[in-house]
This record gives sequence, structure tokens and C-alpha cells, in this order.
Amino acid sequence: MELRFLIVDDSMTMRRIVINSLRNLGYANFVEAGDGKEALDKLALDSAINFIITDWNMPIVSGLELIKAIRSDPKIAHIPVLMVTTRGIKEDIIEALKAKVNNYIVKPFTPHILKEKIEQILAIAS
Amino acid sequence: MKKVTNLSELFEKLDDLKTVFRYGEKLIPVIQGLVDFMRDTVPLLENINTSIAESTSKIPKATSQIHNITSATELATTEILDIIDVISNDISTAEESISTLIKNEKEKEEIFLAMKALVINNPEASALLIRYEAINNVNLILSPLVELFEKIRSNVYNITLSLQVQDITAQQLAAVNHLIESVQEKLSALVIDFEVTNVSVLDSSTIQVAHNAAFDPNARYSRSLDNQNVADALVKDQMDRASQDEIDRIFS
Repeated sequence: MELRFLIVDDSMTMRRIVINSLRNLGYANFVEAGDGKEALDKLALDSAINFIITDWNMPIVSGLELIKAIRSDPKIAHIPVLMVTTRGIKEDIIEALKAKVNNYIVKPFTPHILKEKIEQILAIAS
Repeated sequence: MKKVTNLSELFEKLDDLKTVFRYGEKLIPVIQGLVDFMRDTVPLLENINTSIAESTSKIPKATSQIHNITSATELATTEILDIIDVISNDISTAEESISTLIKNEKEKEEIFLAMKALVINNPEASALLIRYEAINNVNLILSPLVELFEKIRSNVYNITLSLQVQDITAQQLAAVNHLIESVQEKLSALVIDFEVTNVSVLDSSTIQVAHNAAFDPNARYSRSLDNQNVADALVKDQMDRASQDEIDRIFS
């Protein structure tokens, strides 16, 4: 099954870096959103999205709120979510895990870590 | 008799009054000093108040300039990423051309071997073919080129990854902006407090960042994997617990 990624980050730079990294890993199908609200709108319209990579600190709807909204909606609750954020303190990571994020990357990320986490999520999902 | 008593009381009172006047005489310079001090202090306080008001009025410009820095660095980063995309595309085109050349070289080698077999009985032609082969071994040039392009591609990608610093510094600047705005609020309150002669203390520890702010006040650009290792351990712990729950569910 081809992965269609939703990349959610208010930084255009970060979205491009994540997409470039995914391209290097051989993926080619992406949708972008600048905040959690835009991401939810895209998820409502695009049922092909089957993997979400999101930042935490974003305006309007944060990454954490986005995960909570996804997990509370039965139609999209199954979609794996990988968080890529600068927030590296233990309490934040625990909070994200409580919200049912599938995996967690602390910025700045390396392509090796990104690949590893995507593969971990896909292995569990399959 | 009553008159005598009254007079002695009067004298006592006059003595008391004399004592008060003596104290008064001593107190007058002190009071005068206090008045002079107050006279000197009032303009100083007014100056402080004016300075605070001026500083406060400059803060919006400072925050706007910090915001401009973020916008400028984001624009510059986008331009760098555009250039990197162009370089990456150029590398891909060059790699495709090299790949075609390598394919052609294999075919040329087969033709060359066939020609060699054809002229095996002609020493002159064979010698010419060997000379031609020596100067026309393109593979010797192409192989290092393939490696070189791989190296360029890897370096370009590393530049892309390093540009994550823009997002991290943008968050740091947003945090600084938030701090400055909070200080402005406090200073504005202080100016008002001066006017009602009730000076409050400026306490930076009371400046809070909302939990759902669009920036991380602790954002750091660090190659250290310490935080990632903490995250990995916590995720693993969560996964192990989830697996155990599933096992428990199956056997319950």
C-alpha cells in the first residue's frame, strides 16, 4: 500500500525539509498543512491520507490538540501519527504518549531517525 | 493657694514647651534635609517614569524587528532550499546522463571485443585497437564521477537538514518576543503605579508562556541525542505496556 503523508508544521522550512527527507527515503505522496486545524480540514476531505507527521507548537490548533482530535474521531483514529518537535523534555513526551502519538522525534532530526521511526510504526501497524 | 498651683503648672508647661522648641530647633535641619531630599528625588522619579514610558513605547518596534528577522531568515532559507532543489535536479540529470554513458560503454565494449576478434590475424589493426582502447577507457572517468555526484548529493542533503536551525531559532526568537511583550505589560503597569504612588515590583519569574503557544521557549539546536534517547525509552516503555495489556486481554 502506498503511503500518503500529511505533513503538519507551521514552518514552511520544516515542511520542505521533512518532504525532502521522505523523498530521499523513496516516498513520493504528500499533503501539507500549516497548523492542526488545516490538518483536520485536509483529513476530512482526503481519505487517502494514511500517515501523519506533525509538529507540536503551532498556532490555532497545536500538534497535541490535533492528535487528541484524531484519536477521538473513529473515522481517522487509526491513522498513525509521528510527532517531530523541539519539545524534548520528559513531561512533554509523556503528554504526547498519553494523547496516543505513535512515535516521537526531537528536532533537529536525522534521516536515519526519521526512517527508523516510520519503519517502527509501519511494523506495528502491519 | 490655687493661684500658686496654677502658676507652677504654667511654668511646668512653659518648660515643656521650651523643651519642645529645643527639639524643634534640632529637628528643623533634619526636616529641611528631608524636604531637600524629596525635592531632589521627585525629578529623579519623574525621570525614571519618563524613561520607563519611553522604553515601553520602543518595545513594539523591537518585537516587530525580531519578527522581521524571523521572516527574513525564513525567506532566505526558502531561497536556499530552492537552490538546493535546483542542484538536486541538476545532479539527477547528470546522474541519468552518466547512467546512459555507462550503458553505452558496455555496448561499446561488446562491439570492441567483436572487432578485436575480427582483426585477430591483422597485427597492425590489433595494435591500433589496443591503442584506441587505452585512450578511450571512459569507465575510468565515469566511476569516480558517480562517486563524486553521490558525495555532492549527500552534502546537499546535509545542508537541507542543517536548515532545521531556522525553525529552531524562529521559535527561540518568538519566545524572546513573548518575553519582551510580557516585560512591556509589566512596565506599562509600573508607569501607572508610579502615578498612583504605589510602586509594584517587576518580577520576571511571573512571566508565563502558555502551554499551547506556537513556539517552544526551550527550543535548542543540538546534535546531542540525549532527548531523543529519552523519547525512545518512553515510547518503548509505552509499546511494551501496550503489548502486555494485549497479552493480558487474550488470557483473561
